[in-house]
Amino acid sequence: MSETSANLLFFLTCATYVAATVVFLRFLVNGKGDVGRLGARLIAFGAVLHAAHICVASLVLRVCPVEGIHFPMSVASMLMCVAYVIARRRLRVEVAGAFVAPLALTSLMASRFVGGGAEPGEGIKSFLLPFHVTANLVGVALFGLAFSAAALYLAQERFVKSKRIDGMSRRLPPLDALDRAEHRFLLAGFPLLTIGIITGTVWARRVEMGGTSEILRAVFGYVTWFVIAGVLFLRAAAGWRGRRAAYGTIAGFGFAVLVLILYLVRKEPAPAVAAISAPASGVVTPAVLP
Amino acid sequence: MVVVGVSHKTAPVDVRERFAAGSEVLPELLARLTARPELEEAMFLSTCNRVEVIALPRPGPNLEDSTRAASRAIREALRDQIGASSVDDLSEWLYEKSGDAAVRHIFRVAASLDSMVLGEPQILGQVKDAYDAAVAAGALRSHLSRCVHRAFTVAKRVRTETQLGAGIVSISSVAVDLTKHIFGDLGSSTVLLVGAGEMAEQAAKSLGKGAKSIRVCNRSFDRAATLAATFGGTAAPLDQLEAELVISDVVVASTSSKTFVITKDLVKRVMKQRKGKTLFLIDIAVPRNIDPEVHKLDNVYVYNIDDLEAEVAENMKLRQKEVTAAEVIVDAELAEWAAWARGLNVNPTVVALRARTRGVLVAELERSLGQRLKHLTEGDRAALLQMMESATNKLLHAPTTRLKAAASSSDAGDLVEALHHLFDLPKAPESAEEGVRDSRTMRTDGSSQAPIAAEASEKRLPH
Repeated sequence: MSETSANLLFFLTCATYVAATVVFLRFLVNGKGDVGRLGARLIAFGAVLHAAHICVASLVLRVCPVEGIHFPMSVASMLMCVAYVIARRRLRVEVAGAFVAPLALTSLMASRFVGGGAEPGEGIKSFLLPFHVTANLVGVALFGLAFSAAALYLAQERFVKSKRIDGMSRRLPPLDALDRAEHRFLLAGFPLLTIGIITGTVWARRVEMGGTSEILRAVFGYVTWFVIAGVLFLRAAAGWRGRRAAYGTIAGFGFAVLVLILYLVRKEPAPAVAAISAPASGVVTPAVLP
Repeated sequence: MVVVGVSHKTAPVDVRERFAAGSEVLPELLARLTARPELEEAMFLSTCNRVEVIALPRPGPNLEDSTRAASRAIREALRDQIGASSVDDLSEWLYEKSGDAAVRHIFRVAASLDSMVLGEPQILGQVKDAYDAAVAAGALRSHLSRCVHRAFTVAKRVRTETQLGAGIVSISSVAVDLTKHIFGDLGSSTVLLVGAGEMAEQAAKSLGKGAKSIRVCNRSFDRAATLAATFGGTAAPLDQLEAELVISDVVVASTSSKTFVITKDLVKRVMKQRKGKTLFLIDIAVPRNIDPEVHKLDNVYVYNIDDLEAEVAENMKLRQKEVTAAEVIVDAELAEWAAWARGLNVNPTVVALRARTRGVLVAELERSLGQRLKHLTEGDRAALLQMMESATNKLLHAPTTRLKAAASSSDAGDLVEALHHLFDLPKAPESAEEGVRDSRTMRTDGSSQAPIAAEASEKRLPH
């Protein structure tokens, strides 16, 4: 295993996600191509390369892929692709690949190029940390899919409301399918997010929460949970479906992304790994930070 | 011939619905139209996509003036129909066709070439209904009636000789396509039909196949029950509409109500009970049954007949080849009709020629019977009269046939003028439509009975 292999896998994964993005956008804009087969296969292939990259890079760096933030973020985007490939047919949301592919690409790139590198300090390492990170990131991966379905729902709803049901509208899934998919992804992701919030709350009591960044991360984490919980509750109790639920889902995912960004851009030195993870060094692997 | 009306091409549904007339008011409308001195015959066609008056102008000294007067009369009738203050208020929406263009229009309408959904079969039935109503009201007599019959022939030819009607595509099937766009699979959707007429039946045929269940809500419960039984559905009276809406996902409204059956307040209440579950309403009625404001509510989508046009546009692209073939049939039929109609142009000349010939012969016979042939018995006189009739027919057969043959390929104006000049005949009318009135006195074998002049001379015959 070498850095070169990891590098090669990283760029191959990026190229595959770019290709998938192009295939989906071409289909949405021009109606050309078969996203059901080619697009989905590209995402599946990208997910395989992505998984290989994570394995190789974690072995090269000798880090656990579910600790810190950069690696897990990469893992989350890979899981999002896997979940998409599994659920796309059943939920009739093949076109959601138009969001999944670029989201995975962005996440993969951000995990490598955004923020500094720092390994979690011994003081904050805990047996809860892998559970906390894994639950949160799988949850976020599912919210990413819910976000994709919600965004497509809003686009389709706009077409149907304005009675422009030709062109792009014909290439989008039916409204009800999108609404249902969004709801199911939220339902699947919410328990994981709840576990993440609980483990995070327990774990946070053991570390100092002095900085603004930490407070904001915690606040946005709780806000994410409340927003998603609110969307699910209001849907069940007050009939918040369709557009309202879609806006709520997008807002919830937005807060989750904010938390990830705050993690990514925080500046805590970690000399042990900074040397090999700094973007300027041109090295391969994601930095590792809790 | 004159056609004045509004269609899906010239006016939106909120305008068309103001002109629409149900079958119950047609006799009165037709009576008003035929009472107008400017109109000889009239027919009122009211469908979801068009409302138009087809009329034959009453003959006058000048064809253009007659046509203009007829058009004005129709516009005034339509103005009264919708309660507008001025005829000019309507001009934005109305189209008008006259002469051959009007006949072509009638042929195209019957053949479903002017329909929103090309090739849809309902229009022919609707034209036939309009025709029957006009016949029953005594508003159709000869020429227009013949023209509409010809339109039926054109429609049949288009249906059998082209693929225009194959695999169609009715408004209902377009609605199904649209429904799938919102719900995907209809298998988990309950379809509610509000109204139980022909359109509802069509919708039931299209939507009922894939739907989880089908329900019919109608003012007449018996009719609802009959329709529901046909499709294995459930019937409900109209006063249970709110409860029906709560449990339905797709609603097709096609009642003949003049006011909104489904209002915004009603749907607001329904949506609360449905907990925001998507409701898709298709309003294929004209006048509309569903308040368009309902579309503004969350998770509620209302599509009326005009909104289905985008779907239809796709359909039209696929059918362009068949449309071209159908238009060829229309052109051929129109040419035949025009030839026949031009033949009618010479009828007044033929009639006048016969009258002149017969008049001369009758006058001579009358004089002889009063003088040298006074002694003839009644039987002899009848034989002489018969001989005179035969001689007239034989004498005029060749010129009549040749004149008609010339008229079918051209306007035969020179021949007509020559005959009028040579035999000092009275001035001929200007067009086929005027000629047709005289043709009513023609025998089916093509020979004519001399009208007034001949009748007058006949009365003078001693018996």
